[in-house]
Amino acid sequence: MKMKYYFIGCFFFLMSCSKDFLEKKPYNALPVEDALQSEADILVALRGAYASLRNVDLYGRTIPVLGDLMADVTYQSLTNSNRYTFYNQYGTPVVDGNALGMWTAGYHTILRVNNILNSTIDGTATARQYRGEAHAIRALMYFELVRFFAKPYTDNPSDVGVPIITTFNIGVKPKRNTIAEVYALILDDLSKAYNLMTQTTNSSQFTKYAARALEAKVHLTKGDMANARTAAIDVINNGGYTLVGANNYVSYWQNPAPLTNKLETLFEVSSDGVANLGFDALGYIYSQNGYGDMICASDLYNSYTATDVRKSLLTPGTRSGAAVFVNKYTNIVTDRDDTKVLRLSDVYMIAAEASLGTNETDARNYLNAVATRRDASFTGFTSTGAALLEDILTERRKELAFEGHRFHDLNRLKRTINRSADYPASARTIPYPFNRRLLPIPQAEMDANPNMVQNPGY
Amino acid sequence: MKKKILLLMYMLVSVVWIYAQTKTVTGKIQDESGTPLGNVSIQAKGTKLGTVSLADGTFSLSVPSTTSTLVFSLLNYKTAELAITTSPLNLKMQAAIDNLSDVVVVAYGTTKKPEITGAMGIVKAKDIENKPFTSVDRALQGAVAGLQSVASSGTPGASQQIRIRGIGSINASSEPLWILDGIVVNTGDASRLTTTANLLSTLNPNDIESITVLKDASASSLYGSRAANGVILVNTKKGKSGKTKFRFDTEIGYSDIAYFNEDYRPLNANEYFELTREGLVNAGASPAAITATLASLGQGNNVNYNWLDAVTKKGTQRQYNLSASGGNDRTTYNLSGGYFRQEGITLQSDFQRWNGNMSITSKATDRLTISTTLNTGFVQQNAPLAGGSFGNPILSSYFLLPSRAARNPNGSLNIAAPDFGPGNLHNTVATAEMDKRFLKQLSARGGLTAEYKILDNLKFTSRYGIDYNVLEEEQYNNPFHGDGQSVGGRAFVFYTRLFNYTWTNLLDYKFSFGKSKDFTTAIQLGYEAQDSRTLSSSISATGFPATTQLTYPVVAATPTQASATGSDFSFLSAFSSASINYKNKYVLTGSLRRDGSSRFGNQNRYGNFWSVGGTWNLDQESFIKDIKLISQLKLRASYGVNGNAGIGNYDWQPTYSYGSNYNQQPGSGPNNIGNVFLTWEINKPFNVGLDLSLMNNIVTLTADYYIRKTSSLLLDAPVSRTSGFSTVRDNIGSMENKGFELSLNVIPVTTKNFQWSVNINYANNRNKILSLVNNQDIITGIFVRRVGQDFQSFYAPRWAGIDPANGDPLWYKTATGKETTNNFNEAQRTVLGSASPRYFGSFTNTLRFKGFSLEAQLYFSGGNLTQDAWAGFYMGSGNGPAFNKVLRQYTERWKAPGDNSATLPRYVYGGNRLAQNPSTLYLYKGDYGRIRDLTLSYQLPGELAKKLKLSSAVFYVRGTNLFTLVRDKKLPWDPEQGVASQTNLNVFIPKTITAGINIGF
Repeated sequence: MKMKYYFIGCFFFLMSCSKDFLEKKPYNALPVEDALQSEADILVALRGAYASLRNVDLYGRTIPVLGDLMADVTYQSLTNSNRYTFYNQYGTPVVDGNALGMWTAGYHTILRVNNILNSTIDGTATARQYRGEAHAIRALMYFELVRFFAKPYTDNPSDVGVPIITTFNIGVKPKRNTIAEVYALILDDLSKAYNLMTQTTNSSQFTKYAARALEAKVHLTKGDMANARTAAIDVINNGGYTLVGANNYVSYWQNPAPLTNKLETLFEVSSDGVANLGFDALGYIYSQNGYGDMICASDLYNSYTATDVRKSLLTPGTRSGAAVFVNKYTNIVTDRDDTKVLRLSDVYMIAAEASLGTNETDARNYLNAVATRRDASFTGFTSTGAALLEDILTERRKELAFEGHRFHDLNRLKRTINRSADYPASARTIPYPFNRRLLPIPQAEMDANPNMVQNPGY
Repeated sequence: MKKKILLLMYMLVSVVWIYAQTKTVTGKIQDESGTPLGNVSIQAKGTKLGTVSLADGTFSLSVPSTTSTLVFSLLNYKTAELAITTSPLNLKMQAAIDNLSDVVVVAYGTTKKPEITGAMGIVKAKDIENKPFTSVDRALQGAVAGLQSVASSGTPGASQQIRIRGIGSINASSEPLWILDGIVVNTGDASRLTTTANLLSTLNPNDIESITVLKDASASSLYGSRAANGVILVNTKKGKSGKTKFRFDTEIGYSDIAYFNEDYRPLNANEYFELTREGLVNAGASPAAITATLASLGQGNNVNYNWLDAVTKKGTQRQYNLSASGGNDRTTYNLSGGYFRQEGITLQSDFQRWNGNMSITSKATDRLTISTTLNTGFVQQNAPLAGGSFGNPILSSYFLLPSRAARNPNGSLNIAAPDFGPGNLHNTVATAEMDKRFLKQLSARGGLTAEYKILDNLKFTSRYGIDYNVLEEEQYNNPFHGDGQSVGGRAFVFYTRLFNYTWTNLLDYKFSFGKSKDFTTAIQLGYEAQDSRTLSSSISATGFPATTQLTYPVVAATPTQASATGSDFSFLSAFSSASINYKNKYVLTGSLRRDGSSRFGNQNRYGNFWSVGGTWNLDQESFIKDIKLISQLKLRASYGVNGNAGIGNYDWQPTYSYGSNYNQQPGSGPNNIGNVFLTWEINKPFNVGLDLSLMNNIVTLTADYYIRKTSSLLLDAPVSRTSGFSTVRDNIGSMENKGFELSLNVIPVTTKNFQWSVNINYANNRNKILSLVNNQDIITGIFVRRVGQDFQSFYAPRWAGIDPANGDPLWYKTATGKETTNNFNEAQRTVLGSASPRYFGSFTNTLRFKGFSLEAQLYFSGGNLTQDAWAGFYMGSGNGPAFNKVLRQYTERWKAPGDNSATLPRYVYGGNRLAQNPSTLYLYKGDYGRIRDLTLSYQLPGELAKKLKLSSAVFYVRGTNLFTLVRDKKLPWDPEQGVASQTNLNVFIPKTITAGINIGF
């Protein structure tokens, strides 16, 4: 009989299992409330925001690729891995995955920086630096989103832009703010960024003058030449950065690591040997050892003189006929190429273009500072007026090719895109305005948010 | 002294009394074929006196002289009563078909058939044994009405999807809970690197004694928050006392593609270049560009290579199983070992399994029984990549141009430009030789059980069971060609360990009450704790030496991944069940379970689940008992609440995750919104059933009707992505499945030498979504989740054919209208039909003539649509022009104005107006029938076997999936394409012919 009680005793003993038995914690994550508690936490979260910029549909690949493919800089080889085909053809459907990816990753990055900006960590110089960088990242994201998903500011600032989100709310169903409102937020963020930041880590994190350079670019995009000129010249004169020259141009592009010597790069998104996109990295779609889909337009190639150092990064070859291969991004193993976002050469040319109406000499000087550094035998432009503007734009195309700037230049200027015979016959002349020069608001966003308005033509 | 004398006298009297009052009955018990039956329980009717028969079938029992009848009982045999008339008393026991004493394995125990109030299906060993399937889940197809078992790939070792009574969840798991010998086991696909790793593939189907499938509330609710998708109880073979029985099974076989539609064979070189030239002309390319492009595609290189032939082959199959089973009246055991090997019908697909199985039960004392089981299995498997991977051999066989050959004229592998330069599709013949990709999986599942009879009617059971799975997944991509080329070769070694233990404690109490003890009651109390822990580590490296001999990261230059993580969950449960049985006429059952789980939000951690069921065994009523025609008639009904806890381990926790690193410094970001109220999904099944058996079991029928409503469905409600997230998970939606199930057995002819029996099982199911987040549609790929519609509704524009004037693709603008458009973006999407079959089942005929037996099972399924998800590439009117196309693209395309017979658009290099986008053009009717099993076997006559010193010998030839009939003649791929009915360029489902021998000695 004793056994009986023993067993029954056991049974009920087992029923009193400890409460901890049902507590299981994830191995890779912390409760949200524990994640942003200190300055060190903010730094880790800030790195997370930078890492988010590496998303394949942000600076990982799509942003720089579309900026050239949708313009006249690169085309998709007939032999291809079927990436960005619609953009080559100007036939993007509303369900396009890259547009969806850019929209989703863009706003996710904005969430990451919003959480930093809305945290209570503040006060010290370091905390202010982190907040400044977060402001700059947010400005950068809105700048990309508003340029890809909305009409140019120069067209109609009161037209629909993209929704402005500055605090986290999972139930949000925002309307599209006006383009003007979005640009106002961007400039406000950049002004705060400029004033908060005092420290320089390396070229893969925002600095005071990187934010200022972005501000110059934003003003230029708005057509606000006076402010663009002021900001650009501030960077040139006070930033402490130096232009890359013909002698170190190739090695500059071969280097996959962030720089600390303030050479040329104001801001780039870092990829390294561990954290990288692998086959989805930017270099892989250019390199003939990768997908190699993106080919330099033949007219662009022909525009470089034989002595132009930039031509040394282009190799004529054969791929579905004659093709010019791009060697700006050759690091497709181990440490992958970083994606350049802001370069001093860009700032010089912004200064040049912004000076056109007020000081043509300055304009020529800023332009020639870049142009003569690329071609040792070139003595500089002497043009004036409209011809000088064309020279500046041509030089921008040549200098910033394969970095995703040309499409936005042609949009802000509301110009027709004249693409070479390398492109599909049906998509060689893209007038302005043209519906598919705007990306579609992703179908998934349209489905989830009844307040969203689709871009025309989708 | 007085006492001593009294005692002595008492003893003497007793002896005399016994002597005077008893008689000894002897005899022999055999089965119908004359094989002696041991371990038969023999009881003198009306007394507690009894014994068991010996291994040779003989018994001897002393009974009071007043005893006139003996009762003989044995598991799986009809209980017999025999009057003591002759001596010796010989009996041939009949195998039980449907009998009151038939014991059925149910949740946490066994029960007798009359006491069953729920809906369940039972599968016996013979339906699972010696089939050419790598895992038992595959063998369940067609075996139980209402259980849908569907493959998506013919890769040996691939996982199988099982749905019982429809799909009950949207985002949580819809897979049933598997219980092996009372232990909750992890199932499903545990692969992290390789294509598939079916945890059940380590279990040898030949080691299974029976499977019980619990379908409704009454049957399954005792499993509480995990019962909603049904429960599958697997019981492995146990020993029986008696002479040791050995059994040896072996088979060998071959396999080939089960279904292939010639309309969809890849094009040869001439066809492809004719098509491509036309496409370039149609795209407006200049003559120079046409020549250059065609040349770059390999025109004129005199190569015409058949990639499909190159990547497919005849598969082979073999298995050997040996078991020994026996014991005495105190200890029984079963030992078995097996080897199984299958080579798939494509490159890089093979599977091997080694098994060891042990089961021992011992009566330590009259009250204490201890037992242990241990099932171990080791699997080594190669499975090719699937889907859009460049290294997928099936993809390559449809996408690679016939102008690219796998080998150069000198026999070396063709892995260089121009055919296979970097960035191009891979030469999968080369990568199959040069790369490695395999899984090694070890499982040990077993437990220790102690049963202690506290009283004769009160039993305590404690069972501790473990389920241990270790997976080693390895991949090596050579530095010369393929996925490893751009990084100088790469390798991955992934290790995953799943350890899961369940500790169950049960108290079972049985008693009778009422006048003449007419009511019998069984009450069970239980307590169970389960803890599952997963550890996974991942290593990868790049930069390998220029050889294919060294394949491990140890020789690599750059480590690229060195990570380890885990994922855990736990359950804590208390439960109880009770049944009241009145004279086997009326039975009422009830169950109650309280479950807590780490998966549920901390504000909603415990849930209660219950069921009630009732049965009326009309055959026990006097007004039916006399009707000779009816041998069984039973009505059942049940209702209850159970749950689905198949949700993510940490879904409820709002978290910031780490790992968004930057410049090799740690970075973090919000990764999960979380929901502290997140909890199980609720399932409320209602079931009514009928069991009928006529003319001494010549006709047996089971019919069930059910409605199950699932609510609090976890939904990933899409949110505006401007929030930073795409979806948020909450308990919101509800859904309904209702259907009808029928199992019918008929034995139309039975003579001395011949028997014909027919078995039909049939199920239909209607699924309907009842509510969603704000009742807004959720669009997931080509599916729409819409209130009032089936969960798996295809949603795409309707294809309207082509414009005969210019070959443009046309779609209907609206869901029902006739107006067409050639602009895909103007075409409205519409609900087209479901990917889930409306009905499925099997139809089996068995013919037995003397020792011969012919069994044919037809599996059928239909009423659904299936999508060819990759057709946009090989039938997309020029989309992906540098990939090969299929014959239908070539033969049915529009060529010139007025081309009225064409059904596919003008072929344009690069694509024609988004013709490749999903529409009804790429949807097909999924109805099919398949001869799932065709077996001819011959059993050696008993005498002949005896001469060969065998107790039995069976020879068989079996065809599996031999014939496939489809309703839609345009169906491009095998009709079996997973639960979602979407093709994914998977390895073809095989048809197999095997021949084998089973010998008992």
